[in-house]
Amino acid sequence: MASILTVLFNGVAYGFLLFVMSVGLSVTLGMMNFVNLAQASFSMLGGYILVTAMQSHGLPFLVCLPIVFVLVGAVSVIVERLIFRHFYKTDDLTQVLLTIGLVFMSIAMATYFWGGSYQRFDMPSWIIGQKEIFGLTLETYRIFLVGFGAVMAVALIFGLERTQLGAMVRACVDNRRVAGACGLNTELIFAFTFAIGGGLAGLGGALSANLLGLDPNFPLRYLVYILIVVSVGGMGTITGTLIAALTLGIADVLGKYYFPQFGSFIIYLLTVAFMLWRPHGLLGRGA
Amino acid sequence: MKTALSILTAATLATVSAQGALAQETVKIGVLQSYSGMTSLGGQQTDFAIKTFMQKYGETPGGFKLQLIRRDTTGPNPEVAKRLVGEVVTREKVQLLIGPDFTPNTLAAAPILTEAKVPSFVTGAATTGIVGEKSPYSTRTFFATPQLCKPLAPYAVKQGWTKIFVVVADFAPGHECEKFFVEALKEANGTLVGNLRTPLSNPEYSGYIQRIRDAKPDGVFIFMPLGELSIGIVRAINDSGLKASGLKIMGTGDITDEGYIDAVGEAAVGVITSGIYSTQHDSALNKEFVKSYTAVAGEKNRIGWSAVSAWDAMRLTYDALDAQKGQKFDGEKFAAFLRGHKIESPRGPITIDKSNGDIIQNVYIRRAERVNGVLQNIEIETFKDVSFK
Repeated sequence: MASILTVLFNGVAYGFLLFVMSVGLSVTLGMMNFVNLAQASFSMLGGYILVTAMQSHGLPFLVCLPIVFVLVGAVSVIVERLIFRHFYKTDDLTQVLLTIGLVFMSIAMATYFWGGSYQRFDMPSWIIGQKEIFGLTLETYRIFLVGFGAVMAVALIFGLERTQLGAMVRACVDNRRVAGACGLNTELIFAFTFAIGGGLAGLGGALSANLLGLDPNFPLRYLVYILIVVSVGGMGTITGTLIAALTLGIADVLGKYYFPQFGSFIIYLLTVAFMLWRPHGLLGRGA
Repeated sequence: MKTALSILTAATLATVSAQGALAQETVKIGVLQSYSGMTSLGGQQTDFAIKTFMQKYGETPGGFKLQLIRRDTTGPNPEVAKRLVGEVVTREKVQLLIGPDFTPNTLAAAPILTEAKVPSFVTGAATTGIVGEKSPYSTRTFFATPQLCKPLAPYAVKQGWTKIFVVVADFAPGHECEKFFVEALKEANGTLVGNLRTPLSNPEYSGYIQRIRDAKPDGVFIFMPLGELSIGIVRAINDSGLKASGLKIMGTGDITDEGYIDAVGEAAVGVITSGIYSTQHDSALNKEFVKSYTAVAGEKNRIGWSAVSAWDAMRLTYDALDAQKGQKFDGEKFAAFLRGHKIESPRGPITIDKSNGDIIQNVYIRRAERVNGVLQNIEIETFKDVSFK
């Protein structure tokens, strides 16, 4: 019994890991309809900023997280102003080609600045090791991840889906001309949303890099998982991304425990099944 | 008269050969390694090692002038490797080859090298049966899978860790390593309490680790490819608390490779691995090697097995070229010279097998520890002259 509960908890924690990694893309792709694969590069940047801030400047882990959010958000706005905004009206394929090109450039840049090897994370002692909760031995970092992910999910769902700001963003995406005619500053709103998406991606990278290992190939390695979560969850819905991430995370860990011979096959099988059942994602709005 | 003539002839011959030496025949060496992508560290180490070696021992072994021709195999890409080998052999006319790396690349290159009679060094592929079996001009300075995968089994049993759980990555080298380890474990009277094959793309280990926990082994044997999988599994076992509760973590040297042992961090401390080389190896030659390599590559670039393999390929090349001093370069003689040749390497003594050019070398059991704050693999036991079979 204890082992089942532990496995279940680990699945939830993995689900939240997938959530924090993919929620940034969910914002830009889902809300702004912009296929930004370079989101994975923003995640990597977040990881590197965390490493630099912690190792070279000796800042505490929790102080680093908001710094990562702000810095990566700022970088993503610069990139948006310089490059992305010229491509809002192009088709998906152009956006995919543009942003995958940026991913390759980011790999080269990361190698140039931080070297090709894996980074070392010295996490604070309160976050490593295990804790006894209800008779279960759980990993402290996973508990932290679940808590952090849950707070983030609630904040985003209420902040972006239920507020006037969220309505403004959706209005700009759905019909930019009319939104502009109604007096919305569409340029500003797009840049702001992009900053939030980029910042979230950076935060996701900072929270996951410790578990996943960080080297310049980080974006290519985890891009597939991010895309799976966002497409299963459905475009334009943070709730959907959360449900998808948790479902896939739990299924993956349970699958590996009960049917190890199938390996990571289960996550792909589930993805195909979900996509056949709901081509626009679990909570997608449809085209 | 007759004697005068022969003296004259001899004198002429001497002049000719002296001129030959002065003209200095150039030997072109193709260096085919990964310089880009996920596996670029191997190419980087190869370059540093070659540069260090040439700085130290000069650039004209046996009076030959060396010219290096580098090409990027981009990783395990047999199509690319085949094209590059064809190009450097037919167009650049290289007479020697260091590489290509990886088993599929080595296999793709072998037919071309056999036909062109170009001696090559296998510096980055470990599968058994890919050296002399595929090209009579091929020499391995890396290692063969059984050398790393067998010795830990008897070692573990001797320590009293008899119940072993085996975890390998689900690809051909993983299956090969699993086979060798399980065989050796049986021979040593150990018990296999479970085994897992984990996917090559796998960010999450907790489900697997619960299975290990349920099986209650004394130790776990791990074989993962270099990189994030090695880091991930060692850290995951540590984070789960299994290591603290006494589970012995063992594996091939990949899991504590110097290239990223710092990223494994505290989780690496106490991990037992089998390896062919550690920078901590206690010999005068190794100390010298580490010093001069670090002077070229810098402290940040730690020395891995690719560096040592390339270094030994250079040592063998220099020995074989010295043996051809004053003659015209001959690839067949070069390869034949290396068969059965024995050298002192920074890793310890190595012998090139007489019959097929594969490597016979010491295998070390190492424990990862902090030395002056830096994680190192400390050699604690030596298996001498381990065969490649």
